[in-house]
Amino acid sequence: MNGENKIKAPANPFQPEPARIVRTYPLTDDVNFFQIRIADMEKALSFQYQTGQFAMISVLGAGEAPFSISSTPSRPGLLEFCIRKAGTVTNALFQMKENDLIGLRGPYGNTFPIEKMQGKDIVIVMGGLGAAPLRSVLLYLLDNRDQFGRVLLLHGAKRPAEMLLREEFFSLKEREDLECYLTVDEDDTGEWPADVGLVTQLFKKLGNINPENTFSLVCGPPIMYKFVLKEILKLNIPKDQILMTLERRMKCGVGKCGHCAIDYIYTCLDGPVFTYWDVIHMRELI
Amino acid sequence: MEKILTKKSFPAWVKNLQSYTVYAPEKQENLWSYEVIQNPDKINLEYLNTVLAPKKITYPQREIFLQFNTSKEGKPQIKEVLPEEQPAVIFGVRPCDAKAITLTDKVFGEEPKDPYYWSRRNQTILVGLTCNPPPSPNCFCLSVGGSPHSKEGLDILMTDMGDKYHIDSLTKKGEKLIKAAENLFKPASPKDKKELEKIQRESEKKIKREIKDIKNIPDKLKDMFESPFWDEEAMSCIRCGICTYLCPTCYCFDITDELTSTLPLKGKRVRTWDTCQFPDFTMHSSGHNPRPDKASRLRQRILHKFQYHVENYQDYLCTGCGRCISLCPMGIDIIEILNKVRDYE
Repeated sequence: MNGENKIKAPANPFQPEPARIVRTYPLTDDVNFFQIRIADMEKALSFQYQTGQFAMISVLGAGEAPFSISSTPSRPGLLEFCIRKAGTVTNALFQMKENDLIGLRGPYGNTFPIEKMQGKDIVIVMGGLGAAPLRSVLLYLLDNRDQFGRVLLLHGAKRPAEMLLREEFFSLKEREDLECYLTVDEDDTGEWPADVGLVTQLFKKLGNINPENTFSLVCGPPIMYKFVLKEILKLNIPKDQILMTLERRMKCGVGKCGHCAIDYIYTCLDGPVFTYWDVIHMRELI
Repeated sequence: MEKILTKKSFPAWVKNLQSYTVYAPEKQENLWSYEVIQNPDKINLEYLNTVLAPKKITYPQREIFLQFNTSKEGKPQIKEVLPEEQPAVIFGVRPCDAKAITLTDKVFGEEPKDPYYWSRRNQTILVGLTCNPPPSPNCFCLSVGGSPHSKEGLDILMTDMGDKYHIDSLTKKGEKLIKAAENLFKPASPKDKKELEKIQRESEKKIKREIKDIKNIPDKLKDMFESPFWDEEAMSCIRCGICTYLCPTCYCFDITDELTSTLPLKGKRVRTWDTCQFPDFTMHSSGHNPRPDKASRLRQRILHKFQYHVENYQDYLCTGCGRCISLCPMGIDIIEILNKVRDYE
């Protein structure tokens, strides 16, 4: 095969698709909600993604960064993101207004194993910005409620003002088909109507869990995993039924740039959804 | 097809390749570098190896991905910028560097294929040169499955035989180059072939350095992830990144936007080489860094080359060129590291 490379230059995977900010508003001091629609109507409707995946968002001049998709594929057309202002791209994004054009490419990464999760009880544990990727799968479960067993949600934030999408979660709390527990580490308002304490303290509210029949989905800041995983392991849920969606610095999203390489895998291709089994076998994941 | 070309006729051959951009090593302030050749009479193939591998031509350190601006109506416009379709010939490619290009081919050939890389690569012809003068003291191609006369990845392999070159054409692209000036070449005689074999055998003997028992290294590395070994080895690293920037096989990159004007918006999206040896390579926007110290970054470089890449492609991500050893300002030596790994208990 010496040098006889017949691979023809294909369509460009690095070319972003023009997209428009439909709505944007603050969720917390430094996190904004973005509703985005691909400018080309046909492409907007045919954009297929699954829960757990992410997209690269471009602000021309500032650059590109990966963001988990917070909307559910069961409601096509609009893409939603919860984005924290942290770097060059997000700073530029926060200055943009409704109807402004951005670039979008994706979807990238693997997905939650929805088929395997069918018929099972699902315990979702989210902390801080961890709500961003897990909201996608939570809404998917609720949109297809009859396909799953119990759905339990444990959501923790530092303070009331820092809980993403509080109103949405409080209205979900009213649903009878969702066991929803919301907690803050510290209530500095004196008016917090739900639990106070670390998210780990909510585990005692779960009641009887049949571990073999349960999937647990976790996302939060790196420090949270250590303590939350301890609680989940106490429940005896099998290691391959504990799923985490992990953050990694990424540049290309298509398995080439090397930034998200861990062990012999690329997070952008083989992640961001990993099982607890992966986490103990692939060091440096968190 | 094996041919003989006298050294005197070599410039005439290159002169017949006018439709190509021709690159060859050129001495610039004591350092060798691949440059576009204007005058074929001045090509000098009496060099050891260049500072930067020919990777800089097939996969340039900086390339434009997209151009963008705002239209008169205020709409952002994005234009794809693919490299120009320009056939190129690179003369004097060392076998280690040619092998390195085949490794990058595999990564950028995975779906989705990289269109920037392939539009250049498909147009590039690699003319290699056997390393029969004494090689660099840090060459170790034999340890990683290469050799000073390996043909892997090359379209033509040239071997210096005193006043003439033995020319081994290996691909259709190579044949085409020879056909451009066919009358300059003579068929190689049995005597030439015998001499060639002797030169090639001797060239192997000149490779002095060796990674011992390399076959066991990938497994050995698996058990050394948590070892304090990496702290010791990385102690002297000043995280300059030279080892990776000069490496012919390293392919990691960054994508950034460069602005020429903010109002109206005008700029480019560019790809540049990047390195796992820089702290911000893995730093999250939150400040958390899963690879926070020099030790974990050196470990990543070694494990990527000698464990992870082997798992994915059954080949080392190293071709034994020795650049990272010769040019490390702190004397970090990948051969020594791997030989210590072998003996580590």
